Amino acid sequence: MNRDRRQLVLMLMPYLVGLVVLVLLPAAATMAMAFTETDLIATSRFLGAANFVELTTDPAVQAAVGNSLSYLMFSVPLRLVIAVGLALLLHRRARGSGTARAAVLLPGAVPELAYGLMWLWLLNPIQGPVNQFLLLGGEGGRTALGTLPPQWLTDPEDARAGIVLMSLFTIGETFVIVLTARLALPPEAYELAELEGARAGQVLRRVTLPLLAPVLAVLVLRDTLMSLQASFVPTLVVTNGGPPPYATTYLSLVLYQDAFEYLRYGYAAAVAALMLGLTAVAVLIQWRLLRRWASHGIVGAGAQRPGN
Amino acid sequence: MSWHDPGRRRRAYGAVAVTALFGSPLLLLLAGSLREPGQPPVVAPPLIPEDPGFAAYHQAITHGDLVRAAANSMIVAAVGVPLSLLVASLAGFALTQLPRRLASAVIGLSVLAMMVPATALLLPRFVLFRTLHLTDTLVPLIAPALIATSPLYPLIYYLAFRAIPADSYDLCRLADLTPMQTWRRMALPQVQPVTAGLAALTFALTWSNLLDPLVYLYDRATFTLPLALRALAAMDPHNQPVFLAGAVLTTLPTLLVIGVAQRRFMHSYGPEGAP
Repeated sequence: MNRDRRQLVLMLMPYLVGLVVLVLLPAAATMAMAFTETDLIATSRFLGAANFVELTTDPAVQAAVGNSLSYLMFSVPLRLVIAVGLALLLHRRARGSGTARAAVLLPGAVPELAYGLMWLWLLNPIQGPVNQFLLLGGEGGRTALGTLPPQWLTDPEDARAGIVLMSLFTIGETFVIVLTARLALPPEAYELAELEGARAGQVLRRVTLPLLAPVLAVLVLRDTLMSLQASFVPTLVVTNGGPPPYATTYLSLVLYQDAFEYLRYGYAAAVAALMLGLTAVAVLIQWRLLRRWASHGIVGAGAQRPGN
Repeated sequence: MSWHDPGRRRRAYGAVAVTALFGSPLLLLLAGSLREPGQPPVVAPPLIPEDPGFAAYHQAITHGDLVRAAANSMIVAAVGVPLSLLVASLAGFALTQLPRRLASAVIGLSVLAMMVPATALLLPRFVLFRTLHLTDTLVPLIAPALIATSPLYPLIYYLAFRAIPADSYDLCRLADLTPMQTWRRMALPQVQPVTAGLAALTFALTWSNLLDPLVYLYDRATFTLPLALRALAAMDPHNQPVFLAGAVLTTLPTLLVIGVAQRRFMHSYGPEGAP
């Protein structure tokens, strides 16, 4: 028995070592560095809270916090709604549904940088296919509605919308998880609703969504955690944080630039601390909301399912 | 299922629309890459190039040094992906057998690790690898295999192994198998679809990794594919066909791996179909 226990610990060991050396210690080191001035050349100097004071007046950080929050507010709900809609549309066997499932996974399979370069071309205001499509039926460089087409890479609002738009196509993983969750729902729940003569909308509201709620909650949480980082490669490749000064500058880009372009590691660590803090707040808010829903029985309904 | 039937045709149309919407970005990427490189920019060029050819591919490969970069990427994937799966499945299995309190502690740490932004870990990791003189080598790119590429993956293995009926574990105990033997002979073969799915995801993450190479690699000879592609796009940002061709080439291996793996994991829930 003791031999078994030793072997099990050995099996866990590589992962534990990785977790400590590559994640937990570096995270602790980042927190410590946030209170210093470090450039990896001279010895670092303890600054106290000076980096954090500077954060509050840094225009790049101020813009990035606002941009990151607006990205979170638009991207996370839209991604979830689209993924759930597609999963419910495609969960039944129908002509072409297998192909459609595979197609939903496609954009997420493109490596991030290639995906960024692809959108750099798609969103090109003059030659890009997106605006060519929007100009169909319009005249004199206007859309069919008579408005000017979006200036994706040069107008601040349009550029931010472009970054969100890019995120809406990479929902493959979320889609697969919702799809599997939907397929695992007990058919009895639907038979009962049918006996009661419920309409499709009622079935969705009273049966499907409550039963999927626990999975959806986890997905929202995960998307929120990822959204602070997800905007990094697109902004680096497609907009480089612009149009100037900071229209699509997100916190991850500020961190990267401070650390690896301006070599201000201590200050960059303070930005990292800010990101961690924001993530923690977002998680806390969602956790409280979840608990409130659970006490009202919305999430609980799913948790009481047999076999769960 | 009376309310299902009139929707049947609608669902088929929906499936076609979804396919068109989600397939179009990649088709447009492909169309863009087949255009003649080095032409002056024109307003609204035709979506389907008039004279499609592979000239842009040739330029991308020679100017971007993509063959060497692809070889580097393949070394990283060939070592990193199997190692990562091994770490994940060993840890996931151990978690099901170790005392509950220890397992919950490790699971808690994993969730915490998922919360930490990747950019926040770059600096100390950079210092670590520089001190070990491992920058400008491929080691820092393989290192994330030690955390199973994403701390989520050991947890997925943990859930999969826990779903195996207790009888199977009892039989192994009666046969006096060690945990290692139980893992290899009984548990691992039963979770093959999970392994296939995670293999594809791990490969996709490893193959597309841009952040780590960006920080650790300066010598062009060590560049991986995403980094070489970034250099190529920066070299001539207006020669779109060339970097689009590079993007297509970078994407192909991932599509191939996902296509192969998908046969194994999609079909594990496909045939059961809908209620």
